[in-house]
Amino acid sequence: MEPIIQWRTRLEETALAPVRRTSRRYWALVAALVAVVGWGLYAYSLQLRDGLIVTGMRDRISWGLYIATFVFFIGISHAGTLISAILRVSQARWRTPVTRIAEFITVVALICGASFVIIDLGRPDRVLNVFIYGRWQSPIIWDVLAITTYLTGSIVYLFVPMIPDLALFRDRLTGSTSRWRGWLYRTLAIGWIGNAAQRRSLAAAIGILMILIIPIAVSVHTVVSWIFAMTLRVPWDSALFGAFFVAGAIFSGIAILIIVMAILRRAYRLHEYVTEKHFVYLGYLLAAFAAIMIYANISELLIHGYKLEEGAEFHLRQLFLNDFAPLFWFYLIGGLVGPIVLMLLRATRNIGGVIAAAVLVTLAMWIERYVIVVTGLRVPLMPYQPADYSPTWVEWSIFAGGLALFALLITLFTKVFPIIAVWEVAEDQEATVAAPHPAGPAVPESRAPIGG
Amino acid sequence: MYQTIRRVAGPALAILAAGAMTVMLAVPAIASHLVVRTSFPSAATVGEGVSLAVNLGTPDGAPLVGATVTYYLHMSFAGVEGEGVIGRAVTDDVGIGAIHYLPRAAGLHEVRIEYRAPGAATVEEVLGTFDVAGGEQLVRSAGGPDIPGINPGLLMAVLGGVWLILLSVAFRLVGIARASGRADPPAGAGPR
Repeated sequence: MEPIIQWRTRLEETALAPVRRTSRRYWALVAALVAVVGWGLYAYSLQLRDGLIVTGMRDRISWGLYIATFVFFIGISHAGTLISAILRVSQARWRTPVTRIAEFITVVALICGASFVIIDLGRPDRVLNVFIYGRWQSPIIWDVLAITTYLTGSIVYLFVPMIPDLALFRDRLTGSTSRWRGWLYRTLAIGWIGNAAQRRSLAAAIGILMILIIPIAVSVHTVVSWIFAMTLRVPWDSALFGAFFVAGAIFSGIAILIIVMAILRRAYRLHEYVTEKHFVYLGYLLAAFAAIMIYANISELLIHGYKLEEGAEFHLRQLFLNDFAPLFWFYLIGGLVGPIVLMLLRATRNIGGVIAAAVLVTLAMWIERYVIVVTGLRVPLMPYQPADYSPTWVEWSIFAGGLALFALLITLFTKVFPIIAVWEVAEDQEATVAAPHPAGPAVPESRAPIGG
Repeated sequence: MYQTIRRVAGPALAILAAGAMTVMLAVPAIASHLVVRTSFPSAATVGEGVSLAVNLGTPDGAPLVGATVTYYLHMSFAGVEGEGVIGRAVTDDVGIGAIHYLPRAAGLHEVRIEYRAPGAATVEEVLGTFDVAGGEQLVRSAGGPDIPGINPGLLMAVLGGVWLILLSVAFRLVGIARASGRADPPAGAGPR
């Protein structure tokens, strides 16, 4: 095995490479994403000018694509929480190369998700009404408080473990990068030199955050579910909704993390650090949460179907047999059963199989959010014909703009900040090398064969 | 003779016209073959149910059985005014149709009752009012049990605790910044 010094130098160079070199393909990607965001902004300007009449939402189905996408984004924001905080608490070493990506997904997804609530309001100035006329008894207020706290906590949780890596960038890029970057790294590194006192403070701060961020994240998606569950709608009338939403959030969070990891691994040649093992382990987590989601769905739907309160039959018919049947069956088969099958089969238990599972889950979980929102409102509360809803091109354009903004922010982040937690990966590697290996010579964990 | 005719014709025409008008005006009353009596409460209170009854009978005193009676109440909501159906009833063996109504607002309630006599082409109506006392606001459901400690104060305490912990992290960051000029002691030097 090569000396650890050389290994660390190569790791640092890999982390610095995206900042040092920028290809034309990168700028082409940025331009394409900016164009889509711009198109979304144009559509939003029409909505601001003409009002929500340009959407497919009306009096009876007043939540649609926007709120479904809001719930979806808040869900995938749990990627950072799970991978970083829970795996850090459980001292799972394999997490280190993926934590930074996960934490950044959290922050970006929260920003994009919160934007969709404001877009759904129609008039953004009415956000102020939440603060002027808000009532403590309202789940909307709880949601605002929870998301604000989670966003703050997530930004801090992204920043704190990044400090040593920002200091590395400060030290290694001084003189060879632009002035604003130098200033940025100097400022954000807050004088980190890695002495014992700083390490103690950093360890204490990370220790506090990794514990704190877990209940905050759980509370966020629980409260998001309460926005639905605390209204008098038959399909949303469930005490299980909080746990159901949290499980779904972590599920979709893992899936989006796998996809982003795969893209960044390929784009920045991170193959040595983000290995097949990471994908397969995340694939196992994905399959485990798919099983939890299957259980939650059975519990939820069976209880509704057994009691069959007024409106429940209509709801079950629209899910399984009528209007929403294709979407719902795709969610059940493709999004929940599919990933488990892919992870059970040896032939698909690899990077390609895990990515395929993640794509299925991401699609399915967005569909699930859409189905929850729209079908819940579609069940008639009075003896009238059920309303119909289909998003207009304005809604689809804003939706596309939101997704492009998500991708754009991550793309830009990779050019400014370290995408690998260099110091954590290095510490992990040093600990692995130092540990006795009774079965043979020391092998870096990142290269170890998959236990599968 | 001609003069006599002229003298008689004028008053006769006037009498005929007056008679025709009387008949025309009297038609609805004559058309209503029913005797209608309403039974509204003399006083009511917001949130307490009342019975609004109507008794339909034929002029010969027989009850009108099986007639559908519709109750309308004048309503005002969010700046829109109009009538809303508050209930329907079918008259029973003694000709009484009644609904149970829960007043949700204080003030004078104007109720219009529509009914149709058997074989009649037109719908007839009768008006009635009753006064409701009580709070001005709509009736609200009970807020549930008041459990000590479960209130917005608890929410604020939890939230405040979380933000205090986040603040403690900020202090750690200040500690990191302040320790930047401090070099580690050489190995074996021991604590100072």
